Amino acid sequence: METATDTTVDQSVAISLDHVTKIYRGGGGVYELSLDIAVGEVFGFLGPNGAGKTTTIRLILDLIRPSSGRIRVFGLDSRTDSVAIRRRVGYLPGELALYERLSARQILTHFAHLRGGLDWKKVEHYVEAFDLDVDRPVRSLSRGNRQKVGLVAAMMGDPEFLLLDEPTSGLDPLVQRTVQSEVRRAAREGRTVLLSSHVLSEVGEVADRVGLIREGRLIDIESVAQLQGHAAHLVEVRFRGPTDVQTFISLPGVLSHRVDDRSLHLEVAGDLNPIVALLARYDLEDLSIREPTLEELFMRFYGVSDG
Amino acid sequence: MAFFSLVMLAMFPTIHANASFAKLIEAYPEALRKLFDISNYTTGPGYLRTEVFSFMAPLLITIYAILQGSDLLAGEEERRTIDLLLANPVSRRRVVMEKWLALATGVGALSVVLELLLGLIGPLFRLHLGWRQLSAEVLGTALFGLFGGTLALAWGAWTGARGAARGVAAAVTVAMYLLSALAQLVSALGSFEWASLWYHALGGDPLTTGFHYWHLGVVAMVIGVLLLAATLLFDRRDLTT
Ligand SMILES: Nc1ncnc2c1ncn2[C@@H]1O[C@H](COP(=O)(O)OP(=O)(O)OP(=O)(O)O)[C@@H](O)[C@H]1O
Ligand SMILES: [Mg+2]
Repeated sequence: METATDTTVDQSVAISLDHVTKIYRGGGGVYELSLDIAVGEVFGFLGPNGAGKTTTIRLILDLIRPSSGRIRVFGLDSRTDSVAIRRRVGYLPGELALYERLSARQILTHFAHLRGGLDWKKVEHYVEAFDLDVDRPVRSLSRGNRQKVGLVAAMMGDPEFLLLDEPTSGLDPLVQRTVQSEVRRAAREGRTVLLSSHVLSEVGEVADRVGLIREGRLIDIESVAQLQGHAAHLVEVRFRGPTDVQTFISLPGVLSHRVDDRSLHLEVAGDLNPIVALLARYDLEDLSIREPTLEELFMRFYGVSDG
Repeated sequence: MAFFSLVMLAMFPTIHANASFAKLIEAYPEALRKLFDISNYTTGPGYLRTEVFSFMAPLLITIYAILQGSDLLAGEEERRTIDLLLANPVSRRRVVMEKWLALATGVGALSVVLELLLGLIGPLFRLHLGWRQLSAEVLGTALFGLFGGTLALAWGAWTGARGAARGVAAAVTVAMYLLSALAQLVSALGSFEWASLWYHALGGDPLTTGFHYWHLGVVAMVIGVLLLAATLLFDRRDLTT
């Protein structure tokens, strides 16, 4: 059963990707991904559509095979020890599909059976946490409720490693909050989580570190604190009267500015108080302060843009 | 039926070029009798063979098996539920084996129903069949259907495409039926009859002559090889997103 126990395997590493490349026939895929995630860590995979998040996650589960490179989960090889790995992993697919004719209870019971039997009380915890009606056939469930079935299926065994591909897609904010608190609880219990998203704020809520992926390449890995330091707010102001633009530009933390018509666009890092204080002295027609979108973040810090 | 006609059409040029086909047309009434095996129409087994076994029962069981075989793996892949299934700690080989067992169980259950139906209700219509002969015929029918279903399963395991798996399995089973049926008429085809699993499963008229173990063994072996191929091919592939 135990295949060539690798003495070099670091017990504190939950998953390690070693120059993993997967090239699809169409030319898309992921290239030379190298990454270690520590046991007990929550790692966020952040990237726009088609970046390669789903590809990476399916490679880990041996649903697809790398063109080159190696993946190890808890020291086990993703190709040769896949069954042993999957015994310890809970997975939520990005494009979730369920058996339409079965009820959530039937699906969960079936998967629990394939996992060698689970205590239904454990399952019940998640069923209640997500407020899931387990006796309706899946075909009659809304998109959000289907997602809940997938989440419960992934989490019900309290697996050592949670692999969640866009876990909050289709969920209302309240249920998104539940997902986040369950992820935090898993991490508190020393379990490892890898989750993907294309929303920065969502990953920032729960992750310790974030891997930025784009066009199949891992551009950077940063702690959430670092990332949020980078993530300047975008301030857009429209004034009624005349304005001294210079006083705004010279404020601390203003990274860039742009003036068009009567609007002033500023990129502000760090503390927002100085600018809010200054704005209070003016007669404003409109004001918006928002986080940068993922694309804006990529453009700002990695000098890459779409197309 | 579309496939049936297609295969007929596809075979037309080869038949047309064959000199014995001319003879076939001359001998039309007799040939027809042979093709649909109505030689013993007046006896119980002859009637049953014509009406039920020469076509209907194998057709229904094979259609069922092909639909199931193509759906169990390729269908699950097309509906994308395979991702969740294989997130569980089960090997792909085990999944293929269990899917095939489900297929075999379904075919087996249908065959038992068929056997009981004919064996118990037949006498009411003055059809007196030996259980042994009936069993031989039902087993041949079941094995031929299972062959079609396993072929569909294997093709689906290899490609993940359900429609193609159905098409290929339907075309192959129909071609085998036709080969076996036409071999009765076209002597040139006679030497190729061994290539038809229909011939091995049902060609020896088991309803009157009973079990032909060697021939049934050939069908079982082909099923085994296809199942092995299915596990190996499915194990090697990227599953579609
Ligand atoms: N089965 C496939 N065959 C060919 N190309 C594929 C296949 N699956 C994905 N790709 C390509 O690989 C790249 C990465 O896709 P992937 O699904 O991993 O992205 P993603 O980060 O999950 O995107 P999203 O946020 O839209 O889910 C894309 O360019 C995609 O077109
Ligand atoms: Mg994806």
